Amino acid sequence: MSSSLSSSDDDIFERLQKGPDKKVLEERQHAVNERVHAIYEKAQARLAELIDQNSTLPCTVSKIEILNASHTRTGFLERIFSPLLSAHRDKPYTLSEALQEVSARADGLSRFDIFHEPISIFLDKPSDSSALPTDINVYLSVKEKSRILLKTGTDLGNAEGSAYGNLLWRNIFGGAESLNLNASLGTRTRSAYQVAFETPILSDPDFRWEIGGIASSTQKTWASHEEVLKGGWTKLRWMNGSGHRHEVGYHGFWRQLTGLLEASPTVREDAGDSVKSSIFHTWINDRRDNPLLPSRGFYAKTQNELAGLGPLKGDVSFWKSELETQAAIPVPIPGIKGDSGVSFTTGFRAGLLYPLNLDARPRLQPSRINDRFVLGGPTDVRGFRLCGLGPHEGSDAVGGDVYAAGGANILMPLPRIGAGKPLRFQAFVNGGRLLALRNPQTGNNQEVKDAMLSTISELGRGLPSITAGVGLVYAHQVARFELNFSLPLVLRKGEEGRKGLQLGIGISFL
Amino acid sequence: MPDCHNGQAPERPTDDQDEIDPTQAPAVSSPPVRQLFSVPTPIKRIFDRFPLVIYPPNELPTRLAPHARCNRLFVFLDIAGARQRKPSFNPQCLRWQAYLKFVGIDFELVPSTNHASPSGALPYLLPAPSVESPLPIPAHKLQKWAIEQVHCEEEQQISVRFDVYASLLDHRIRNAWLYQLYLDNDNFNAVARRLYVNFATSSTIVRAALAIQLQQAARDELRKYSDYIDVNDLEAEAGNAFEALSILLGSATYFFDRGKPGFFDASVFAYTHLILEENMMWKHNRLGQLLRRHENLVQHRERILEDYFGNR
Repeated sequence: MSSSLSSSDDDIFERLQKGPDKKVLEERQHAVNERVHAIYEKAQARLAELIDQNSTLPCTVSKIEILNASHTRTGFLERIFSPLLSAHRDKPYTLSEALQEVSARADGLSRFDIFHEPISIFLDKPSDSSALPTDINVYLSVKEKSRILLKTGTDLGNAEGSAYGNLLWRNIFGGAESLNLNASLGTRTRSAYQVAFETPILSDPDFRWEIGGIASSTQKTWASHEEVLKGGWTKLRWMNGSGHRHEVGYHGFWRQLTGLLEASPTVREDAGDSVKSSIFHTWINDRRDNPLLPSRGFYAKTQNELAGLGPLKGDVSFWKSELETQAAIPVPIPGIKGDSGVSFTTGFRAGLLYPLNLDARPRLQPSRINDRFVLGGPTDVRGFRLCGLGPHEGSDAVGGDVYAAGGANILMPLPRIGAGKPLRFQAFVNGGRLLALRNPQTGNNQEVKDAMLSTISELGRGLPSITAGVGLVYAHQVARFELNFSLPLVLRKGEEGRKGLQLGIGISFL
Repeated sequence: MPDCHNGQAPERPTDDQDEIDPTQAPAVSSPPVRQLFSVPTPIKRIFDRFPLVIYPPNELPTRLAPHARCNRLFVFLDIAGARQRKPSFNPQCLRWQAYLKFVGIDFELVPSTNHASPSGALPYLLPAPSVESPLPIPAHKLQKWAIEQVHCEEEQQISVRFDVYASLLDHRIRNAWLYQLYLDNDNFNAVARRLYVNFATSSTIVRAALAIQLQQAARDELRKYSDYIDVNDLEAEAGNAFEALSILLGSATYFFDRGKPGFFDASVFAYTHLILEENMMWKHNRLGQLLRRHENLVQHRERILEDYFGNR
């Protein structure tokens, strides 16, 4: 008797400790959500109705005031908002047009990264007796972000650990100018100090100018040397309405190849100082739904660089061109409605380094190891060691002048986890070739051209070096992680394929 | 599948199974871990079938002439000078260049920089590729290598005084040389800048930076011996050293009364030749004045130049 009593007592306590039933909680939460949603929807509808009723109401913007922007230059803001003032327009607004314009400008304002989001917009009738009946005043209430941002931390990347410090000074002169100071010490990038100043041009968030300098020292273990780099750059960046991003600029770098303890003769030939002075252009068009885990859309990027031109001619002269593309399509699975989460991705990359003789040297300068391409590694051609593709001397990847690489992956959601989570199972096949330009004997233009053509045709000879494998992909907000198991199918002697597991961390994958 | 498929970079399949990342290999490749992760034999046998196809290696890029079949000595020299087998303008390089000629080892000269050397300083020698990939030999191991090659004698054992006289060269004359070449500004601009700096790059800014580094390095080197740099002191010491060398040589053809020149002759010649050489285009040549007082040293230099460097 006593025992049954105590057991039922336990039961009560247990039930009390358990708290309310999970199901009840869920239902309650659901009801709350629904109610909040209903209220919100009603408010929205009322507002929409109000605006709709008045959308054709003529109005004139007599005044725009930006509140709380104490550190931001008036001239800078004026350039953004003064075209909205009716005094500067020959056509009157309807209310909805005015609202649209104002919110578009406010969007632009938030892209300068100097104000906290959201930027609130208020409309008001001027109380002034001289005001026109159609006049409205626009108020934008902003909150400036802190002008100094100091960040320190540690990073773990592809076989590299580093500690960094970063100082960002925003809105220096009140025109959304920023200064970025960055210092890092690490295992592979031994040290890197970088400073960059960036400013929007004509108060346009999509049109910026940047100038910067760098001093770094990087351990290039794949070719047994250390590269000490000092230099600077300046570039213009802009984006047009349809999402095409462009960059045009100038690079000037002093490179020093040093610390060759056990390097191969080819690396030794390029040791010492060289100056690269180049102009470049980059074009990017990214139409993927998610850059790190795309399921539809395409991506294209081209980079062109011309070195050794003009008064700052430097020690190297070449034309370097690179193309990078990726395309993804969702794969419908019969029986699953909507997005199945299965997708097929293909990528292709190619590059060319063409030696030039711009200053009439007696002999054409063939490429140097620090200008040549390297290929292979967990973020490009998977299943190869870092820079494991292409010409190797001993254990050194000495790089090549021409390359082409491609890959295909199929991504599948994991059972029980589902397509909603950014975790996928992948199967891939990828491969490529990286070739050195056959050395032209005298280096006259015709000979270089012939050598280049014969090297390009060599790309298609035989099968490319290929690996295949399976793995897991996790797309974090800042980077994509891959853990793959791969096997090499086709290799060149000397190339370093991997049998087994390989971890890849990066933002751009083949 | 046999090992040869793995090519020049040997790769063991068992290693590959248990490491996650190529550069993190040492941490996980200790024996117990390997056993824990070792692959069962049947699976390993399947793995060993990969890669399925192996093609011949990719061609290497070459900047200079295709890799030679003979010994190559990497020195400070311009390209034209290397082709004509002229003496290097750097005393350390010239010492070994002369020595190898004396003992009769054939080699090609390749212009290079300190960065290329395994020891961080020129010269170094890359032996003829009798083996697959020969290791470069830095200066301090060159004599041992040369003795192994041609079985010549090691002169250091000839005389107990060898080290004493060698230190005259390595300290007194070298210090005065460093001053005359790098810290005398007129000489630096006329000689060192032309030979060492302008060769490295065509960029004016980088040349200026390298020039400053070079002068600072010379200054640091001299400060190792004394707190401040006294020109008169350095020159007097060099004068004394020349006198001592002159007495040592006496009326003999080569040092230590040998029938043919050896390592010590090469070391003396490396300095006396460059001090007396007109092509160096010295602005102030105080060392030259001091050296010319000793006729036998001047003749020693001319003899070697004619016999071994084909009379310019």
